[in-house]
Amino acid sequence: MLLRASGQNENASYNINSITDSQLESGVKHGQHLRALTEAAISSDWLKLAEIRPQIESAIGRQQTVDALVVASAFNGITRVADATGIPLDDNVALATVTLRNETGIQRFEYTEKSDRYG
Amino acid sequence: MYPDHLPLSAQLNQAHAQAWQTISAPGDFFTGAQRLEMVRVSRQSVDCKLCKARQSALSPNAISGEHDGHSSLDDTIVEMIHRIRTDPGRLTKSWFDHTTQTISKQAYVEIVSVVTSAVIIDTLHNSLGQGVPSLPLSIRGRVGKIFNQDAVEAGAWVPLLAAGADTTDTDNLPEVPNIIRALGLVPSAVALFFGTFRPHYTLKDIQLSISQSQAEFVAARVSAMNECFY
Repeated sequence: MLLRASGQNENASYNINSITDSQLESGVKHGQHLRALTEAAISSDWLKLAEIRPQIESAIGRQQTVDALVVASAFNGITRVADATGIPLDDNVALATVTLRNETGIQRFEYTEKSDRYG
Repeated sequence: MYPDHLPLSAQLNQAHAQAWQTISAPGDFFTGAQRLEMVRVSRQSVDCKLCKARQSALSPNAISGEHDGHSSLDDTIVEMIHRIRTDPGRLTKSWFDHTTQTISKQAYVEIVSVVTSAVIIDTLHNSLGQGVPSLPLSIRGRVGKIFNQDAVEAGAWVPLLAAGADTTDTDNLPEVPNIIRALGLVPSAVALFFGTFRPHYTLKDIQLSISQSQAEFVAARVSAMNECFY
């Protein structure tokens, strides 16, 4: 939802489905590099990250590489806060994102649905 | 907390050092030594055989056993920390209800804050090739036992910080998102977590070298990987 909103603010259109489907291009500048950094960091694949970080630094710059990891590490924490407290979506977000959640498959992460699935 | 050659802001460096100091001091329901032990257990969980087996199972509840390692913390707390660290996307209400039969919701919220703050710090250190930072010595003292008696039931598993109607700002973002309210039952838990988180990200006008869209793309990808609905 926030990616879509930033796209609107920047007069750009991003492929939201790329969030859950790695085969799709996001349209975000340096999206493939950002995805590679993020996936290595969140899956704790430190060897892979050490291997790709210098290559990505050459491609997009050292500061941008570090800042992408700054954001990824923050969300590795805050997603756990949300998951451990079962907070509902904010009302306006819930209303505005029904279609988006279904199209991207994010709806399957909904906490009641998870409880039904995993017990 | 980080070597000078790394291009990190002074605010972030300072915030992480402060978080480490705060974790090592008494909280409202746990001592400094217990809070540091939570971080140690969280790190240990990454290589836990039971957790790995559960991650491979269709449901984490299908596999029982004991977590690797020894801890002075109660077994329920150890289980809670392992699940939050290694399989957050499959936490459920029934698991939460079971957990909070043994520990209070206030204690639960403090554990979430300590573990998730440490996850941020450890993830960034590891991502930058630094290895996890060593733990400080614990600071002795009494727990505060302070919690927010005005927290409200609002559809989450835990009582949330009270807030007005879901008003939005001009960008259609909620003024007080539920994620800000999530740890509101224990004010010191809010302060610790968001003190750690804040220098990393803002909802708009992000103060980093990457654009807001790039930051949202990274954030959304992390959310998907961790199967986070919010």
